[in-house]
Amino acid sequence: MPESAVAQGWSPRRIPGVAYALVGLGMFFSIFARGFLSAPNLVNVGAQSAILLIVALPMTLIIMAEGLDLSAGAVLGLSGVTLSLALVQGAPLPVAFLLALAVGSTFGAINGLLVAVADIPPFVATLGTMGVAEGLAVALTDGRSVVGIGSTLPALYAGKFIGAPFAVWAAVLTYAVFHVLLYRTRFGAYVFALGGNREALVLAGLGANRYHILVYVLGGLLSGFGALLLTGRMSAGHPTAAIGMEFDAIAAVIVGGTRFERGNGWLPGTALGVITVGILKNGLNVMAVSSSLQVASIGVLVIAALLVDSIRERR
Amino acid sequence: MNAVVQTAPLLEMRGISKAFPGVRALDGVSMTVHAGEVHMLLGQNGAGKSTLIKALYGAVHPDEGEFLFNGKTERIHSAADARRLGVAVIFQEFSLVPYLSVAENIYLGREFPSRVPGLVDHRRMRAEARRLLDSLGMSELDAAAPLHGLGVAQQQMVEIAKALSQNARILVMDEPTAAISGHEIERLFERIRTLKSAGIGIVYISHRLREVFEIGDRITVLRDGRNVAALAPLETTVDALVRLMAGRDVNSAYRRQAAAGAGPVALETRALCAANGLRNATITVRAGEIVGLAGLVGSGRTEFARALFGADRIISGEARLNGEPLPAGPAGIVRRGVGFVPESRKSEGLALIRSVQDNLLVSGLRRRFPNRWYRFKTAAGAAATLIQRLRIATSTPRRRVQTLSGGNQQKVVIGKWLEAGSRFFIFDEPTRGIDVAAKTEIFGLIDELTAGGAAAILISSELGEIASVCDRAYVMRDKTIVGELRGDELTEENILKLAMHHA
Repeated sequence: MPESAVAQGWSPRRIPGVAYALVGLGMFFSIFARGFLSAPNLVNVGAQSAILLIVALPMTLIIMAEGLDLSAGAVLGLSGVTLSLALVQGAPLPVAFLLALAVGSTFGAINGLLVAVADIPPFVATLGTMGVAEGLAVALTDGRSVVGIGSTLPALYAGKFIGAPFAVWAAVLTYAVFHVLLYRTRFGAYVFALGGNREALVLAGLGANRYHILVYVLGGLLSGFGALLLTGRMSAGHPTAAIGMEFDAIAAVIVGGTRFERGNGWLPGTALGVITVGILKNGLNVMAVSSSLQVASIGVLVIAALLVDSIRERR
Repeated sequence: MNAVVQTAPLLEMRGISKAFPGVRALDGVSMTVHAGEVHMLLGQNGAGKSTLIKALYGAVHPDEGEFLFNGKTERIHSAADARRLGVAVIFQEFSLVPYLSVAENIYLGREFPSRVPGLVDHRRMRAEARRLLDSLGMSELDAAAPLHGLGVAQQQMVEIAKALSQNARILVMDEPTAAISGHEIERLFERIRTLKSAGIGIVYISHRLREVFEIGDRITVLRDGRNVAALAPLETTVDALVRLMAGRDVNSAYRRQAAAGAGPVALETRALCAANGLRNATITVRAGEIVGLAGLVGSGRTEFARALFGADRIISGEARLNGEPLPAGPAGIVRRGVGFVPESRKSEGLALIRSVQDNLLVSGLRRRFPNRWYRFKTAAGAAATLIQRLRIATSTPRRRVQTLSGGNQQKVVIGKWLEAGSRFFIFDEPTRGIDVAAKTEIFGLIDELTAGGAAAILISSELGEIASVCDRAYVMRDKTIVGELRGDELTEENILKLAMHHA
């Protein structure tokens, strides 16, 4: 008996789409973007993708539960501001980090309650909390960067362990945790059920709300974690630095093969999707394409992924 | 004491009552299930079978009555309670998750813990599922396969395996043969016989009456939420059961006056097949006629209506409206004078938060304002005329449709099509959730429309309605027309005979 395709999170039928995009873009930029294929640049791609992966992993679970979290970037920004302000006040890094996680998971819990209990459409609920988080972050800082956070965090971020940057290790570890969580635990099975057949959870006597809320709490928590890396990378807290990150994250999840219907999600695809988006942005950067056009190209990538899907289905 | 316990049935439902707004779904229903028997639960759509089953697994909480398990009163608040008491249900709408494996679906909520705390032991779970599937003769099912790749029949088997894996003492099967056929049904029956000999009590719901005589031990018939008969298969016949289920519809106070003289052919379909599964449907509807489309849930009535209205694609066959081919797509069909009063008036028939006036005018804007400019005076005048003509009870035309009663909402939907100039109406369950007085009014309206030369198709689950309101009726089963009834043949009993599987 072969190992379960589902249990292993391994669905070969779906590899091609995102893998083709990844290999295709990689080859394109290797040829046309001078300096793309250099070691320092590739490390850069990894570090940039790390934060995105940390946001995209819980986003995968949220989308599988037929939801959406538009507040991810804004909450990451607010958590970063909280973290930096605490550091400026002289709090030790672990305490400041815990504060950032607390801010993130509070917003996640609010999102979860609004969606699961109050039955507000996820788009609207998280659009609202996005506004709140973004506004608070700007209000707390008067819209300026928070500088003077000391050297502990930037040093940690700049550190390398066994040849790879701290951020890459953080992302790899987070991926491992999520992979086990989704494919190896009861909670993971219930995430598949949330989007696939919520009624099945109720009929199994489990109830669905708590798992639904937990999925959003994870989203907030990981935004708090992402804030640690982003603040370390910039050596400062910036209230608007992460704005739009939810767009990249949702794009990576969709490109990776997860769909909004029936609990159809694939975590390895999200990792590949994140790298694809990372390569696309970096490659365009190297080719000196403006950042607005980078956003446009990610949009094209997402639409292409869904178009391929819809054409395949029609056959 | 001991003797009493031994003779007590596995389950006794006593005087279960449940009222929903406007309907008494269950009215003092009683039923017992003994160890090792298959108890057939029969009744028309809306007789109360589903509500009774829902009460048994905690999805509906009865207003009155009690459940006794082995002679002991128990309360069922949730699905977890039901499971604890040994009740398992094979749901008609599967309780399965598409992107989990067969094994994960079978053991959802009862996952096998691994030695590492917090993790699930998939290997053991799959092995256990394999053993279960083999013991049930479902060897062809791969325990590791993702569910979404399986066909409906295979998913049905997973649903059955899931229920049986719970070591239930009482097993409820809600139309378990709806999605399977031939030798799969034979194997299901074999399994049922094995379960019986293991002392499990089975409640079996089916619309295929011959199954009653194949595996049933006892029969309970419900009608309008009440017990009407409890008997054994040997004491009865298919015809007698149909009579019991049909009874007389107490709700249809309305009787169509005299069938208006039929005019020219308004709609004619020949061997119509559609992408939604409809096959080989041939009907004729003349001006001035009300033609019923009867059948059980899932028999293809809605598919037929959707195909006629252009909502689903027609694959083959012919459909002619007033002698000309039916245009493709709803927009063209509306322009040719067809109005569709949908089953779910709240989501498909009305814009709930808009006013009565807006709703009345929305489909007829093109006709009322040909030069594209909306004139308030004209609009208000048109709305007032319709409100008066249809006797819609509303304080003002500006009131939100949401705040009207069901009957008045339905009149607004009908008014909308009158305003659009419709001459051919398709009514899909027009009286669902509407009180008796309003029903009579709605039928009166349909009557008036056809007396004025319009034609109507009436789809209804309430067979009594079809029998009393229509001039003729076509009966559907398995997505096709299986018979036509007219005149004296048009009775509830005859409809039911055609609609049910028995041959």
